Amino acid sequence: MVKTNTHLDEELKAIFSNDRLWVCVVWDDPVNLMSYVTYVFMELFGYSKEHATELMLKVHNDGKAVVSNGSREEMERDVQRLHEYGLWATISKEEL
Amino acid sequence: MINNEPSGFKRHGENEYQAKFSESEREVLINLSEQIIELLAERVDHAHEDPLAAMVGITVHDAPPEDEVLLRLLPNAYADESAASEFRRYTESTLRDKKRAHSMAIRSNLINAGDQPIVLDHEGANAWLGGLNDIRLALGVRLKIEDSQQEHLELLKPDDPLRAVYAVYTWLGWLQESLIQALMDDVGER
Repeated sequence: MVKTNTHLDEELKAIFSNDRLWVCVVWDDPVNLMSYVTYVFMELFGYSKEHATELMLKVHNDGKAVVSNGSREEMERDVQRLHEYGLWATISKEEL
Repeated sequence: MINNEPSGFKRHGENEYQAKFSESEREVLINLSEQIIELLAERVDHAHEDPLAAMVGITVHDAPPEDEVLLRLLPNAYADESAASEFRRYTESTLRDKKRAHSMAIRSNLINAGDQPIVLDHEGANAWLGGLNDIRLALGVRLKIEDSQQEHLELLKPDDPLRAVYAVYTWLGWLQESLIQALMDDVGER
């Protein structure tokens, strides 16, 4: 995703302080509709339908998928919003 | 019963989604939304909230709910127990408020509309999607739905009272799908 220049300082600081290694993981769930999961990814993250569908299928087939990455604070916001819409999401440090 | 008149949501022009419900459908939806609201309230009542902490959104809850349904609605954000507790302490009351608002939207829209169609804008539609999903998650836990491929209805005996619950669960999925399809036309254009 494209970030605006005003965030550059923050971004660079985050890169050097190794604070960009946090990921938000969505786990497969037997109840949530595939179309719903796709819609939530589009709506919350602004992903294209193609990208959202790809991520949804990864969750469905592999049991989980990394849906976003960034600082710990950013990932906590993402997880909170995903929980609001009933997706099963967690934050973790390492790439899964 | 519920599926006598297939209804569901349809897009009506830009940023408008409509559905008409029968009286029995309306009753079922209001009843289930109220159950979600009550369940979330139980979580609040069981704790002696510190009023000052509550004002800034901090709850005394740092342990996950014992009730399976509540745990699914308010899941842990971290695999690590202490990180999950810390996160819960600062965020759970906000999450409960959002979920309550979703269920309240469904309930009040239905009560206000009476026998007239429900008319939602994009934001209202998102509240309905979240609220319908919470009801489905709750029913899913009670019905012990563990595998999306399984034909659950066939496994239930003809006299099993859960058959009716399963029928409602299936109908809610269909209703949610109709709203998603109506909304997808919009987001697809962005």
